[in-house]
Amino acid sequence: MKLSKALKNSLWAIAITIISILAVFPFFWMLLVSLKTRVLTYDPSVWFFKPTLENYIAVFQQRHLLFFAKNSFIVVISTTVLSLLLGSMAAYGFARFSFKRREDWAFWILSLRMLPPMATVIPFFILARFTNLLDTYLILILAYMTFNIPFSIWMMRGFFEEIPVQIEESALVDGCSHWQVLMRVVLPLSLPGLTATAIFCIINSWNEFAFALFLTGINARTLPTTVTFFLSITGVIWGEMAAVGVLTALPVLIFAMLVQKYMIRGLTFGAVKQ
Amino acid sequence: MPSVIILALLTIVPTIFLYFVSFTNYELGQMWNEQHLIGFQNFIRLFSGQDTEFWLSVGISLLFMVLATFFETFCGFVVALLLNREFKLKSLVFACLLVPITITPSIVGQMWKLMYNAEYGVINYIMGLLFHTKIIWLGPAMAYTSTLLVDIWQWTPFMALIIYAGISSVPAEPYEAALVDGANAVQSFRYITLPLLKPLLSLAILFRSMDSLKLFDVPFVLTQGGPGSATELLSLHVYRLGFAQTGWVARASATGVILLIIISILSQFLIRQLHKESGPKI
Repeated sequence: MKLSKALKNSLWAIAITIISILAVFPFFWMLLVSLKTRVLTYDPSVWFFKPTLENYIAVFQQRHLLFFAKNSFIVVISTTVLSLLLGSMAAYGFARFSFKRREDWAFWILSLRMLPPMATVIPFFILARFTNLLDTYLILILAYMTFNIPFSIWMMRGFFEEIPVQIEESALVDGCSHWQVLMRVVLPLSLPGLTATAIFCIINSWNEFAFALFLTGINARTLPTTVTFFLSITGVIWGEMAAVGVLTALPVLIFAMLVQKYMIRGLTFGAVKQ
Repeated sequence: MPSVIILALLTIVPTIFLYFVSFTNYELGQMWNEQHLIGFQNFIRLFSGQDTEFWLSVGISLLFMVLATFFETFCGFVVALLLNREFKLKSLVFACLLVPITITPSIVGQMWKLMYNAEYGVINYIMGLLFHTKIIWLGPAMAYTSTLLVDIWQWTPFMALIIYAGISSVPAEPYEAALVDGANAVQSFRYITLPLLKPLLSLAILFRSMDSLKLFDVPFVLTQGGPGSATELLSLHVYRLGFAQTGWVARASATGVILLIIISILSQFLIRQLHKESGPKI
């Protein structure tokens, strides 16, 4: 009943290959469709063809993709900078100072990770309506901070705790002020962590859908919600649909490859260290 | 702690407001002063059994949570065990696994919509070549399974990567000792790997179950909750009540409150379990 080693190995290799292909195939297929001419998109049996850029040209010219991309960039960058600033300050407090009920606060922040967007979007929507903030960058930036700040706190807390306290203490002994310690010692040492956290904030905000869908109309609309253009007219313009998908997903995929090292830490809200 | 205050403002104020709205009869398009407090009416409607759609949606969501989490954990284990050896191109395989996790969820919905299409989709094309059958993936009978399949595709790599990280951090000594004692592979898996993985595994299960319970973007793009209400998860139910055709924001809020309460209770329970197992720091 013992399989020979070679057979076992090749079975294993086949399994790994199939898993990898399954993981990337849907994106690959979308890429393929986006490069097809209109007639070809309805024929799944064609795998080799002369690629065309007509779909990409169409989405840039007729669907103002650049405008939505600009919105995405503005919202994502602002919310990331703000959340990182506020989050890492709080994280430093959590990592270095002990205060009353510290772990309870920490768990409250963790539980914010569970907040369902559909429950928070209603009050945000109504409040934004009456303050005339609907369809502005500001409301989206604020809404995204509800998940980016908790994330930054949990991630950065772990990174700060990895910096030995002794380094900070010896800097204090050498006559640095608390502020100087923070700027000259802690900041440089936590730079890799800050970068990883920032990239995750960027990915999460870029991908966000529910808030973006309800809190914006046309002026502050972001890229992921442009899929709604194609909801009612299914099957008519597959090429453009796929092109929008590729353009929206590609930046995130590139970012993800950059932070591969921190991936698991980021996915688990900083709870698992590597 | 200025950031904690801001965070509290950003999350607690809207939550209180959500509770408040759920006690009114506010509708979309009304002026704010047109609403009245109507007490528990919205909730009475939900719980008195008048609202069968709501209960259907709760059932669908909970089933979805259980099935998705189970299959993702199971498949994740299999993939992680397959990954657990040295080989060339390992980083390439990891890069492939990252794609489903990080890709924009609304685009995931769209991608699968392209592939699921009954006439021109690639899945039915391949099915036709191999088995000479076609499946109406997004029809009434299959839509729920199809949505589940997308979720499993999207998040099995997540489970696999976390479990892999757990397995590879387990030291070699206990296995060697077990081998000396004559334990077979299944036994050492059952008595060494599983217990050591438990804290990590419960954390991953916590995240996955909560995320699948609040899932919105993928089914919104893929099925819009349809056909009928076959895939109307709670988030989509809230959407349909509050924003789609009807605009009953107050009733949607009441449903949202229920969703919030279900998630809070479940996550508190799971977090507490986690807390007990692995000490104060997760």
